[in-house]
Amino acid sequence: MSINRKIAPEFHLIESLHFPDYEILQTKNGFRIYSLRAGSQPVIRLDFIFDAGLIRQLKIAESAFAASMLSEGTKNRSALNLAESLDYYGSYFQTRSNPDDAVATLYCLEKHLENCLPLFLEAITESVFPEKELDIQKKNSIQKLLVNEKKNSYLCRKHYYKNLFGEKHPYASFSSKEDLEKTNRDSLVSFHQNHYKNGLKYLMLSGNYSEKALGQIDDLVSKIDFIAPSDTRNHLEIVSQTGKIFIEKNDSVQSAIRIGKLSIGRTHEDFRRLQFLNLIFGGYFGSRLMKNIREDKGLTYGIYSVLEPYKEAATWYIDSDINTKNRESGLAEIYKEMAVIREHKIPKTELETARNYYLGSFLRSLDGPFSLADRLKILIDYQLPNSYYPDFVSVLYNTNSSDLQELANKYLGEENIVELVVGKK
Amino acid sequence: MLTNNTPLIQYQKFKLDNGLTVIHHFDNATQLCALNILYKVGSRNEDPHKTGFAHLFEHLMFGGSENVKEFDTQLQAAGGESNAFTSNDITNYYVTLPANNIETGFWLDSDRMLSLDFNQKSLDVQKNVVIEEFKERYLNQPYGDIWLKILPLAYKIHPYNWSTIGKEISHIENANLDQVKAFFNNYYSPDNAILVIAGNISFEETMRLCKKWFEPIPNRNAIINAYKQEPVQKEARKEHVYNDVPLDLIVMAYHMGGRQDSDYYDCDLLSDILGAGKSARFFNKLVKEKRLFSELDTYITGDADPGLFLIEGKLMKGVSFETAEAAILEELEFIKNNPVNLNEFTKVQNKTETNVLFGDMSVLNRAMKLAFAEFLGDITLVDNEIAHYLSVTPESLMKVAKNMFQEQNCSTLYYHAKK
Repeated sequence: MSINRKIAPEFHLIESLHFPDYEILQTKNGFRIYSLRAGSQPVIRLDFIFDAGLIRQLKIAESAFAASMLSEGTKNRSALNLAESLDYYGSYFQTRSNPDDAVATLYCLEKHLENCLPLFLEAITESVFPEKELDIQKKNSIQKLLVNEKKNSYLCRKHYYKNLFGEKHPYASFSSKEDLEKTNRDSLVSFHQNHYKNGLKYLMLSGNYSEKALGQIDDLVSKIDFIAPSDTRNHLEIVSQTGKIFIEKNDSVQSAIRIGKLSIGRTHEDFRRLQFLNLIFGGYFGSRLMKNIREDKGLTYGIYSVLEPYKEAATWYIDSDINTKNRESGLAEIYKEMAVIREHKIPKTELETARNYYLGSFLRSLDGPFSLADRLKILIDYQLPNSYYPDFVSVLYNTNSSDLQELANKYLGEENIVELVVGKK
Repeated sequence: MLTNNTPLIQYQKFKLDNGLTVIHHFDNATQLCALNILYKVGSRNEDPHKTGFAHLFEHLMFGGSENVKEFDTQLQAAGGESNAFTSNDITNYYVTLPANNIETGFWLDSDRMLSLDFNQKSLDVQKNVVIEEFKERYLNQPYGDIWLKILPLAYKIHPYNWSTIGKEISHIENANLDQVKAFFNNYYSPDNAILVIAGNISFEETMRLCKKWFEPIPNRNAIINAYKQEPVQKEARKEHVYNDVPLDLIVMAYHMGGRQDSDYYDCDLLSDILGAGKSARFFNKLVKEKRLFSELDTYITGDADPGLFLIEGKLMKGVSFETAEAAILEELEFIKNNPVNLNEFTKVQNKTETNVLFGDMSVLNRAMKLAFAEFLGDITLVDNEIAHYLSVTPESLMKVAKNMFQEQNCSTLYYHAKK
């Protein structure tokens, strides 16, 4: 049997995407539990979402320390006792402070839930922020900061956000050594009271579990007097300092580069199509930036562009590390690609390849329970309909080259750009 | 208590006429299909004067094959995604596609196994890309060159002496097209590869597509040159480096067994007891109680041939290397001479069960796990893994620790912050 290897096998277009059904339940004390069952391994992820993100902090480092200190001891249990008990049941306890919220997560096997849950809840509600543990965390964080400040990519990121959003904006909150040293127990205790105990937004359960698990969660959570956050919308002022900024680091063999600007948020009508345009420009391995600057010219190991939306603001940027001696030509190529995508229509095959790839990537991200839970969180936080992801199919099939060119002119222009370069002169 | 009742990973295995091993794993809970090809070649198969080549070659596999100029574009057009990694032992390529488009993966991956489009431009570009990778990950990061320093200290004879990125940039610069062709013809022969098809595809369809796309590829009969095994280390090795970093760092590397040796599972659990998470001994004793380190981690390399048990820590400002090292050694002495208590022992076993089950969630992970187990020569490992961990006892942990944590078995790197 001889086959013609020059001809691609036929393939099928993705014509629909399915977002699985999930339930919205209510605990006896009135908090929503989103329950998303998927997957075949007997694993569970339980998230508590609190209104305790960077936007709520009064002092830099407060939100991050409040989150990382949750596991450091309660009235009845030391940090070690908590860690040992949670580890004993093979579980993982994770806390994250994000720009717009903070999330405490328990990962465990279903059979261990009843043992892990009381410990997890005790940690997130009865944390006492022991002085001694705080001191250890502060000193360790200072050591980490010293290492980060040696990294071009860290400096580049920090100064990019500070210039884009403004020195005082919570989205640009990067702690200095002094900020870390100044953090004190009292402010964390009140932050915890105001934004955790009085700031529970909702719960999310994902994985493969029975009704019993949901019952156990309801029973324990409804005994705790959580209070939902009062709707205090923020009006955070953005003070952009646009233009080109160069930070000298003379020992570097590469320069870290970030070029970007303010952009549109998730609920904007252009958002999904702009995500698609960004994909073509720099959002995947087949993008223009990758093909030109890495795969054709070999100037970098990686270059990509990102559309990053938060609740109160959004940014679009290009990020790369480029060899110092090729830096100027690399920068020139980036601006050239921006001009090309504004001035010329994207060829049909390029558009179709990107579209098919993008739909395939949705199929991948809608595959496992935890990745589905991440998508569900976006729907909840931005009050988007369940059809949001399935609708990508029609959005992408109905976007043509002229639409994309129009978007490029609207959102990928050179005006109001912040350009950060960290490297050797 | 841990029991051996984790769900089994079902598979079927067969061999094509050209020597290619195929493993099929069915899962109809996913809309995807993964195609994973493991080539049994890694940096351990390289010439000591031409290191980094297996990894550079991995990049060239995306530069087009005889009949398909653009691998990634064709794959993306069918909704697929691909990537690859190179280790000391293997080079592993994977593709995920909507299950009904998996034939595109067969077409693309069989063509690059048949013959690459050897061209100078692709080689030149990828040499530059890899050199930038070398700089970005190993040179332009504080402590990025730890591996470049510790491996040659721990391995004197065995090719684990160098890291997969290579010993030095000049080795990558000197690579030429003839080497590329010779490397391909030998190591990328069907009989030196393991293909795993996992996901929503039947066994019959897998068989049909394998016969159609892979079986016509001629067997090029790979020859794998033997290399020397590392002799037992008989003297403590120490090296001091000085660099522009903010903190002192210590790395201690002890030789342990290979992935198939009986002490592997003991070492993995010892590493968890000492260094994994907030209830681990190092964190509580040395980071929190004694305030000697801001971070102190342990890990094992997990290579096929005898590997390393590593301890790596950043010293608190003002703490001397002598104090820091003595404190680590004291903990190691303790674990050598005192059996781990039942609570702590059960803890690391339970943790292992969680890790195994979480690791098995994605079909791509299961595909890689099958390929690697087959590469090691024992595909039943995918299901026996838990049983192996269960066979560890507090006594065997103590015995393995006693045998491993000896001064003459250790290579220590003192990474000084230049004043």
